[in-house]
Amino acid sequence: MTQPFKSTRNARFLVILLAGLAALSGCGRSEPARYHLNMVEMTDKGISAQYQVEIATILEAMFGTPDEPFVLPETGLDINKLRLASGPAWSDEEGTNHGLYRRHCAHCHGVTGDGAGPTALFLNPYPRDYRQGKFKFKSTERAAQPTAHDLREILRQGIPGTAMPSFRLHPSREIDALVEYVKYLSMRGQMETALANFVMFQLGEGESLSQYANVYVDELLSPIAEGWAGAEDQVIHPDPQLAPPPRNERDPEALAASIAKGRELFYGTKANCLECHGPTALGDGMTTDQDDWSKAVKQFAANHDQVTPVELGALPPRDVRPRNLRLGVFRGGRRPIDIYRRLHAGINGTPMPAVGPATPGATGTVTPDQIWNLVDYVLSLPYDATTQEPALLSNVRERL
Amino acid sequence: MSSIDAGTHAADAHAGEGHHGGGFISTYVFSRDHKIIGIQFLFSTLVWFLVGGLLALGVRWQVAWPWSEMPVVGKMLFSAEGGQISPEFYTMLFTMHATIMIFFVIIPILAGAFGNYLIPLMIGADDMAFPTLNMLSYWFMWPAFAVIGTSFFVEGGGAQAGWTSYPPLSVVQEAAPGSHLPQTLWLIGITFVGVSSMMGSINYMTTIIQMRAPGMTMFRLPMTIWAMFITAILQAFALPVLTAAGFIQLTDRMIGTGFLLPEYLVVNNSDPASGGGQPLLWQHLFWFYSHPAVYIMILPAMGMVSDMISCFARKPLFGYKPMVYSIAGIAGLGFIVWGHHMFVSGMNPALGMTFMVSTMLIALPSAIKVFNWLGTIWGGNLQFTTPMLFALSFVSMFIIGGLSGIFMAATPVDIFIHDTYFIVAHFHYVLFSGTAMAVFGAIYFWFPKMFGRMMNDSWGKVHFFLTFVLLNCVFFPMHILGAVGFPRRLADPYHYATFRELGPLNEFITYCALALVACQAIFVVNFFVSIFFGPKAGRNPWHANGLEWAAPSPPGHGNFDFQPLIYRGPYEYGDPSVDADYYPQTQPPPPGHPETRPEAAPVTY
Amino acid sequence: MNKVWSLLFLAVPVFGVATFVAAPYFNHWLPRDVSEHGRMIDHLFMFILWLTGFVFVGTEVAIFWFMWRYNDRVNREPARFMHGSHSLELVWTILPAAILLFIAIYQMDAWAGSKMRRPDIAPTAEVTGRQFEWRLRYPGPDGVLDTADDIHHVNDLHLPVGEEVLLVVKSEDVLHSFFLPNLRIKQDVVPGMKQYVWFKANETGQFDIVCAELCGWGHYKMKGQVTLESREEFDAWLAQQYEQEQATLEQTTTDEG
Repeated sequence: MTQPFKSTRNARFLVILLAGLAALSGCGRSEPARYHLNMVEMTDKGISAQYQVEIATILEAMFGTPDEPFVLPETGLDINKLRLASGPAWSDEEGTNHGLYRRHCAHCHGVTGDGAGPTALFLNPYPRDYRQGKFKFKSTERAAQPTAHDLREILRQGIPGTAMPSFRLHPSREIDALVEYVKYLSMRGQMETALANFVMFQLGEGESLSQYANVYVDELLSPIAEGWAGAEDQVIHPDPQLAPPPRNERDPEALAASIAKGRELFYGTKANCLECHGPTALGDGMTTDQDDWSKAVKQFAANHDQVTPVELGALPPRDVRPRNLRLGVFRGGRRPIDIYRRLHAGINGTPMPAVGPATPGATGTVTPDQIWNLVDYVLSLPYDATTQEPALLSNVRERL
Repeated sequence: MSSIDAGTHAADAHAGEGHHGGGFISTYVFSRDHKIIGIQFLFSTLVWFLVGGLLALGVRWQVAWPWSEMPVVGKMLFSAEGGQISPEFYTMLFTMHATIMIFFVIIPILAGAFGNYLIPLMIGADDMAFPTLNMLSYWFMWPAFAVIGTSFFVEGGGAQAGWTSYPPLSVVQEAAPGSHLPQTLWLIGITFVGVSSMMGSINYMTTIIQMRAPGMTMFRLPMTIWAMFITAILQAFALPVLTAAGFIQLTDRMIGTGFLLPEYLVVNNSDPASGGGQPLLWQHLFWFYSHPAVYIMILPAMGMVSDMISCFARKPLFGYKPMVYSIAGIAGLGFIVWGHHMFVSGMNPALGMTFMVSTMLIALPSAIKVFNWLGTIWGGNLQFTTPMLFALSFVSMFIIGGLSGIFMAATPVDIFIHDTYFIVAHFHYVLFSGTAMAVFGAIYFWFPKMFGRMMNDSWGKVHFFLTFVLLNCVFFPMHILGAVGFPRRLADPYHYATFRELGPLNEFITYCALALVACQAIFVVNFFVSIFFGPKAGRNPWHANGLEWAAPSPPGHGNFDFQPLIYRGPYEYGDPSVDADYYPQTQPPPPGHPETRPEAAPVTY
Repeated sequence: MNKVWSLLFLAVPVFGVATFVAAPYFNHWLPRDVSEHGRMIDHLFMFILWLTGFVFVGTEVAIFWFMWRYNDRVNREPARFMHGSHSLELVWTILPAAILLFIAIYQMDAWAGSKMRRPDIAPTAEVTGRQFEWRLRYPGPDGVLDTADDIHHVNDLHLPVGEEVLLVVKSEDVLHSFFLPNLRIKQDVVPGMKQYVWFKANETGQFDIVCAELCGWGHYKMKGQVTLESREEFDAWLAQQYEQEQATLEQTTTDEG
């Protein structure tokens, strides 16, 4: 068969082909990642665009950029750890991973640590916004910062019942670097708030922020850094005299008695657990309250009609759900001491109140003994025969 | 030859006047002419083919260089993160890649484009049995295009539960960002594709049974038509199950029924499911459709390859009837092997054993087909035209895809390789190296019939060479990845020390994938330039026997400018009793020709 | 030029075989098998690989040879006018059928051993997949799961070596797949279903737990690790975990737990 083809227009083909390939390859790269300001806060505090630029400049001078972090010695942060955690994700030839934060964390917690990364909107609960320096699950007093050990444990154990997974299998060098980086992002966020407050309350009309360079570090940064450095002193240590022995050494009858007392406290007016956790401890009591982060967003929405907080980068507010205590899922850890601390100091940033003394020496709502009773009761709930519930319910009806 | 060409030109002039005598809209947009509809399908699917290919590049980019800035996408969507994509975006990429390639490319390009175009021409009909239904089958693809296209841009950004949409990930809206609105749109889109396929399938069956030209007995049909016929039957029986399953999933998602969820199921702190159902139910229903669908995606390609190979080997197809029976066998067995997708799913292991046996059996007809293709090229006069090269590569690649299937059919081995890249290699060898190569070949082969002009053969061969080499560089190493246990669908596989060593191999694959997509530009340019500037083809440029080559190129409305009478099957190449090396189905036997086969006389209705 | 095309098709079996020959030298091969039953699975894999390898090379070389021999630039003989061969069809139907049937029967025992013959022992641990980690639970001193003295852990599965181990595998939310590449174990975990896997490990060491079924955006994060250790080490580890979990006072050793 003779082939009925001619080699036509090959040259023209080639030109078009090359032009097409050139068009495909000529795509620019994106800008390096940047920290962004908390626009909800800036708008709420009426910080003008000019001051926003000044704040951003000062923050960059004090903390650097996501690719090139920088810290002042006052912060007490280790720049080498931060370098390992910051920047784009890559691995060197020895297999050391760099850019850990962006590899593991940023898509939820955001490059700025605002808890609003691309995935955040779809998670329940939302990822933590580090910028207030406020953390829920820690060993310290309610208002105190978490210790490095607390943050490390969160990374290692994950937070069961949330989207925060365990990073236990990562080498401790990586976990330490991430802990340091979380502290760094927190301090940076707290500094941002401090600067905004400074502009709002202390700066005169038309004054430039740059005039007060001496106060940033001494008066604004130092208290923040001290809060972090002093966390170790704020750890809640139950009185060893009052703490029950580990469960395997406990007398079953004493344990049963303690659980019974705990149950009474749970339904009693002093601890008042059932108001939120519900009469059956299924977490169905108070379901219309919010945590501090959502409250702030709601507050903002109520005060401003020009712009919605979501437009400014906040996540839509959500009601907080009290824990269903019968699932056996304890977000802040399931050891008795974890539950003790949760009861003693409450959960910072949430409606869960502290029942222990607010300061050492003061008297709490309930005594340490009673906290231990509650701990025993809470730990027994997942294994509690549901047949016991009707008896409890009659109690509840009386109270209601 | 010259008299045929002259006839072609006259017919072309006639065809150019407008098919229906109607306006532009009724001629080219809402056309009821099977040829226009076929070409509409062809263009739509080729556009989606490009989209699907680009999505695949996104997947490959992330697997090779996780979290590095993705070109174009990184800048457009993830500039705040320095161009690093989010993991749910990655899950969206592979979900939508598979969805588009399967539902918008392979199924409609085989049944929609080639089925529509070729069936009436190859059986000697003037159009489909139901031209309006045919038009609707194309236009029902558009709602699907629209909703799936929209799903990229709604909150959550594209379905993310995999193309298999396994519950609970797909059903519980909180389970994944893409399980909110995008998954609903996905289900609606797939339902529209199903409606479109169903309309096509009814039409093809009716047309093939009822509208054959005089003398076109069932066993004179070309393999393409046999394959299309059996594919249509498969679709008619399997699709209702997918549609029903889709509705079950939709009601579970939208109105809280519990077919697919166990009770009290909570995902990402969603409200507890009412439940009472079973996630495995979906897998059974889905694969009851999707395993036959695998054959819907390969049988027409097999048919077209048979036609091309016989034509360019200048030799009758080896074992015509065994080929027909093996297609029918594949179709029958195709309904009882779905469980091999579920060996490790939690299905009763005793069922696993039965499905393993039926799966081993279904390898048999495929093997028979391969041996028959080999028999066809043995002792022929092979002409290495572009379509022939693609057809031969189909056979060569289908062998790989078929043999790797035996690993998966062996249940204990499947325990290890299930959901690894071994599977990815397997189905890409069947679907890309197999079906897509056959489709390329078919486009080069039937292009002259569709557009009246030839595609450039030299550039076609360059396209073939690059595609053939690169696709093997992309997909063959995936077998090795699978042997190491490298799982599918991981946004960052290098978390695992075992898989970190596979980085260089993955980079190699990605470079080749980029080149593979880039070299398709040759095809695109060749295609469009040839439509306008290619040399005129004439009625039968390949000197083929098939009935379609007796019609003008392109055929006018009503297809044939004479009444076709069929004297023989389509594969009588190299009959020593005639002068030419081909013997068209419509050519009456010369006086004194020893036509002895009983069905030789034309039948008149 | 036509010979070039034939040679291109010859390159398929050449490079195909070369890839599989070379891969083990780059350590790109089946991960080290540390289980008792894995030997049979690997054996089956290699058996099928050799078998398909022969068929692959045979058919691909046949394509090459037919292309080389019968291309119309070289072949001056007329094409053979033949429509098939009944006896050949019979040969290439019955022969593959016999081989496939043999494979089917040959593997049944391995499958039954892995998935159907559950040993009659108490589960050593319970593994629960959730988005996106493996939650682990060991029975406490009472030896029974689902009581108040259970030991909870995450991602870091410890198991004794040299004895039959039974695990309960479950899911808390969506589908996951419990995949132990080195132990040749894979089982999808399904919410609402309680399933078992069992094996006997014969080497100590630390190996990956992989999630092999798409479970959402964090699918890749579900990395676990199984530590296979002697019975004594395992018991000691479990006792230490138990002690930590019951702690009512902060201990200093928790960092390495």
